[in-house]
Amino acid sequence: MAEHVILFAGPMGAGKTTAIQTLSEIDVVLTEAENTERDVADKPTTTVALDYGEITLGDDEKVRLYGVPGQRRFDFMWEILKERAIGLVLLVNNDAPDPVASVLEFLEEFGELYDRGGVVIGISRADVSATPTVADYADAIAVRRPDLVVPIFTIDARNASQMHMVLMTLILNIETRAAMKASGHLSS
Amino acid sequence: MSTPAHKNPTIIANGIATLEEINDLCRSLHYAALLTDDGFEVVSLPGTRVQGSRMASMASSMQALSDAVAREVRIGSSEYIIIAAEKGYVIQLRIPGETLVLSAMFGDSETLGKALSVSRLASTKMAALMSSATA
Repeated sequence: MAEHVILFAGPMGAGKTTAIQTLSEIDVVLTEAENTERDVADKPTTTVALDYGEITLGDDEKVRLYGVPGQRRFDFMWEILKERAIGLVLLVNNDAPDPVASVLEFLEEFGELYDRGGVVIGISRADVSATPTVADYADAIAVRRPDLVVPIFTIDARNASQMHMVLMTLILNIETRAAMKASGHLSS
Repeated sequence: MSTPAHKNPTIIANGIATLEEINDLCRSLHYAALLTDDGFEVVSLPGTRVQGSRMASMASSMQALSDAVAREVRIGSSEYIIIAAEKGYVIQLRIPGETLVLSAMFGDSETLGKALSVSRLASTKMAALMSSATA
């Protein structure tokens, strides 16, 4: 059975834990602690180590889903979890302060996953805040990293079909790029 | 919105008293800190060689992972964590009844039993101080 390790990253409150709970076929391993930064994200708990879930795609493809803590003080977990991952679902909440800057910052931190496999971006809470638009994110990425081709979706992390779409897009992206590398059409 | 533990003067004062007691009881102590469950340092012993904020975040992750493992294998709640290394020990305990964790590092001249005993004593004392502060 083929296996993929996919990370879910992004700032606190973006919906990483919810997305993994929505996708996972097993009970999600959670490491939640009481959130003392209610001024940053008004939610009772926050992930302090990792989230872990699994999903099977088709007959023979298992995807291991790892969520990383959103706060930079846990960046040692980012490094640990990045090691085995081949793809990234980058989530950001559109009503956060300067979400475009957050996306650029996380793309920088997790850029090696683009090189290794692929990245997709999910914009949550776009129903709460209509701006920035998907085009604003795409423009900012095109300026900062014109070498990246990154699909961007607006998502509701609670919506299973939306999250499946995001995940399948990432897997397809990873497999297509792997095939292109293997055939010499893409430099590794 | 209540004051976070790492900014609460009462909790900080109680924490200092607790850490000073460990230091008095165990001279091989290299580092001790109280931290919030979500990885903020409340108070630590001054003059130690550990980067406190980073250690607090790592201790928070370890605590949560040990809780997750205990939950997964259904053995109740995780009481303490011991890391035994070549040059010393790190011991972590949750403060009973609080969303706080005590993390302490001892040199290899200490016995594990004494280090654990002192840490448990401090954790119990901190819980008692917190309880009397809210009574």
